[in-house]
Amino acid sequence: MSHEQTDDNAGAVSPSESQQAAFSMQQHAQGHEDHEQRRAVPAVHGQSDDCIEMRRLHRFFGTTKAVQDISFSVKRGHVFGYIGPNGAGKTTSMRIMATLDLPSYGDVFIDGLSCVNDPELVRNRLGFMPDAFGTYRDVNCREYLDFFARAYGLAGAERTRRLAWVLGFTGTEGMANKPIRGLSKGMKQRLCLGRTLIHDPAVLILDEPAAGLDPRARIDLRRMIRDLANQGKTVLISSHILTELAEMCDSVGIIEQGKLLATGTVEEIEQQQVATSELTLRILDRAEQASTVLKDLPLVSNLLCDGDLVRFEFSGDTREQAELLAMLIRKDFAVAECTAHRKSLEDVFLQVTEGLVQ
Amino acid sequence: MSSLVPSKSSVSSDEDTVAQSLRGRGMEKLDDWCGKWSDGCNPILIKETRQALKSRQFIVTFSLLLFVALSWTIIGTFSLMPAIYTTPSAPPMMLGYYFVLALPMLLVVPLAAYRSLECEIDDGTLELLSITSLSPWQIVLGKLASAMLQMMLYFVVLFPCIAYAYTLRGVDFPTTVALLVMLVFAGAMMTVVALFFAPMSRSRTGRVAMLLVIIFLLFVAEWVLGLFAYDLIEYGFDLSIGFDEGWVFVAGLVLVCPAFAYLLLTLAAAQLTPASENRSTGIRWALLFLTATSAAWVALGSNSEEFSRGFAEELLYIAGVILVIVWTLAGSMLVSESAVVTPRVRRDLPQSFLARATLGWLTPGPATGLVFSVINMVVLASLVSFFMFATDQWGGGFSPRSSRILNQFIFALVAYQTCGLVLVYFLMRLLRRNNNPRVEVGAAALAVVGVFSALTPFGIELYSNDFRQFPYSNLQATNWVWTLYSILDGDDRSGVVSCFAFLGVIGVVWVLYLNPMLVRPLRTATPERVKQELEKAKLARKKSRIRSSRQELADDIENEFG
Repeated sequence: MSHEQTDDNAGAVSPSESQQAAFSMQQHAQGHEDHEQRRAVPAVHGQSDDCIEMRRLHRFFGTTKAVQDISFSVKRGHVFGYIGPNGAGKTTSMRIMATLDLPSYGDVFIDGLSCVNDPELVRNRLGFMPDAFGTYRDVNCREYLDFFARAYGLAGAERTRRLAWVLGFTGTEGMANKPIRGLSKGMKQRLCLGRTLIHDPAVLILDEPAAGLDPRARIDLRRMIRDLANQGKTVLISSHILTELAEMCDSVGIIEQGKLLATGTVEEIEQQQVATSELTLRILDRAEQASTVLKDLPLVSNLLCDGDLVRFEFSGDTREQAELLAMLIRKDFAVAECTAHRKSLEDVFLQVTEGLVQ
Repeated sequence: MSSLVPSKSSVSSDEDTVAQSLRGRGMEKLDDWCGKWSDGCNPILIKETRQALKSRQFIVTFSLLLFVALSWTIIGTFSLMPAIYTTPSAPPMMLGYYFVLALPMLLVVPLAAYRSLECEIDDGTLELLSITSLSPWQIVLGKLASAMLQMMLYFVVLFPCIAYAYTLRGVDFPTTVALLVMLVFAGAMMTVVALFFAPMSRSRTGRVAMLLVIIFLLFVAEWVLGLFAYDLIEYGFDLSIGFDEGWVFVAGLVLVCPAFAYLLLTLAAAQLTPASENRSTGIRWALLFLTATSAAWVALGSNSEEFSRGFAEELLYIAGVILVIVWTLAGSMLVSESAVVTPRVRRDLPQSFLARATLGWLTPGPATGLVFSVINMVVLASLVSFFMFATDQWGGGFSPRSSRILNQFIFALVAYQTCGLVLVYFLMRLLRRNNNPRVEVGAAALAVVGVFSALTPFGIELYSNDFRQFPYSNLQATNWVWTLYSILDGDDRSGVVSCFAFLGVIGVVWVLYLNPMLVRPLRTATPERVKQELEKAKLARKKSRIRSSRQELADDIENEFG
């Protein structure tokens, strides 16, 4: 007769588990030792197709709540941008994903495997590139990559093949025999990406990979990340350069003070967060009169008339915007130009976050 | 016709080409063989060796070693002229070579191993290694193996010089071998100590303090071994001393030193292991191994008539001091562990009743730690009593009075230690309510408990006696320093010892009462998905091996038949 308790049936955290979790956390705050055993993260294994799944992640450092109840998922082959100001909790949550730290509560699943309970299985599937280079003295690029290939258990011809592929992909073949300490920042970053890719991981976690790179190096990096995504790799990338993330990411998550404020594609977040869009119309001859007409409309606000330019905030969707233009034309206003200001990721970021730092 | 007969020059050039191609193929084969061999090696050893051979430190040390050895050979030889032809002149030459070799082996290499592991932490590369397939044990052993390899290189360089010194007569073969074995053994032990200290502190101040400690220890080792080496070379390795004595001494080195090294390496590896994994059980096994080997050493000593007569007390004191220090530190840290057992660790917990009864005390947790420490200390104390009884049969050095004193002293020590550990258990339990302290805090807590329990009654009674001298009274029962001292002085304190032994037992039972879960099965099943993944990984490794051997076969066929 087996006395073992099974823990592999729970596909998701059930309400009772959530309640227990909340209870356990409260007990943790009180510090009751016996309850600490119950506080342990439930060893559930994700059944979904998401390659990265963060589930109710919490990480406390004393009274500082570095990560508070973050949940999101990333589909296989997608690039996910992780955005937030300094001290928002990005690196902390990425370190938990990389099995380098333990959450106070919650779990992260990589390819359905728990980062808390099965870190060694997760590590085989994961490539982590921290913000620091982590290079060795008196070692050249080939030796450095060879060492990490060996450390991941690659042997013989397989190691040689991976080494050649990585050197080719990252464009570091030319400097394979050069000492690492003599490399430029851009080349070091390429080498570190190579190290991350050496064991052919399914998931890549890149912490600020573009920091301090020149424009060309950034473009190259962007191209490489898109190539990797096209090869089916799931990439989670954090960066401060928001315009770049917008171009390469399929979806983004905005985090501030340890909380996930918004998640989805840039357009989705824009729609979630931005109730109004800014419209500029060039109306020939009777701009003043048109502005009087527009002022009375309920969807229009903050109207400003400057010569033949009429600027206002419009809180309708694109169909209502088209109807508005049709109405003006029906009323014989000569609408020569209409510009809808599209909010950039930077605008969305600024709107979503408040610039608060813990 | 002439064109059909090859000219002499063309024959020789063909032979050269064939020889070159054979040489080339030979080198290729050697290269392939080295590559295959290196696949089975620890990656850290390969990386460290590559790094070390290119490092400035190695080049400077190696060059200096060669230069100084050569200089000493010339200067020493000329200074011993012309007596060198007629009288045995090896001792001064050998002593010189010893110091030339001891400097890199006892100082440079252990310090390099320390710096290497420290730099991994400092530069953030340890984190990169933590997410590879390498285990913390592999990292530590790789560093140790690399240090040993460097030692071997230095050793090989100086070997001809030592052989030269040996031919000068005056130092016999057993002495030369003993000297070299001692040096290698000490070098390896000091490297282990250095590796143990390297990950101990993560802060800059702490690292500087650790560096100073390790430098101090290395200089002390250099000095002590230097004196020992001088004696050895001057007086020779005395084979005429009792076989028993030499044997027990060697047995001590062979048994206790590796066990101690194993404990230190386990501790170093545990400091590199992520928090979610079980770090405690390995340490407990290592402690058990050290205790068992020390007990075996003592048992061997007590079984030897000659040794029991001559060295019984010394042996007991050496083993006793080591084990008291080890168990004071280990016990206080074991009772300070967190009671949280991660689901991952719970998968490997003992399951059956028998397994839980015997191995349950090796599982992580403060309550199991307390019971484990107390059982070990009681067993050790009983062994010491047995040892004294055993030496009596040889007419050993223990009179009935000293036997009684030593017995009472040891059991008093265990009783005080047990009570102290129970107190530390409750203090740490209190502290863990709102904090997550490191286990080292437990050692500090035990020190605080020790100081207060001794000073408080002493201070009170000193004050009540107007700061005049006063005799031992029952109020001083918690003053373990005075009680133990008075026992050694010949006073009978069996009442106090019994009282504290009883309190210790009550304390342990109370801790067990508070932790009823200890006796229940806590193991959780390994999820099916994980089992499948582990099976898949095993299969992949097998496939990779088969593929690799197929590839090797194909390469061999291609090499043989073109």
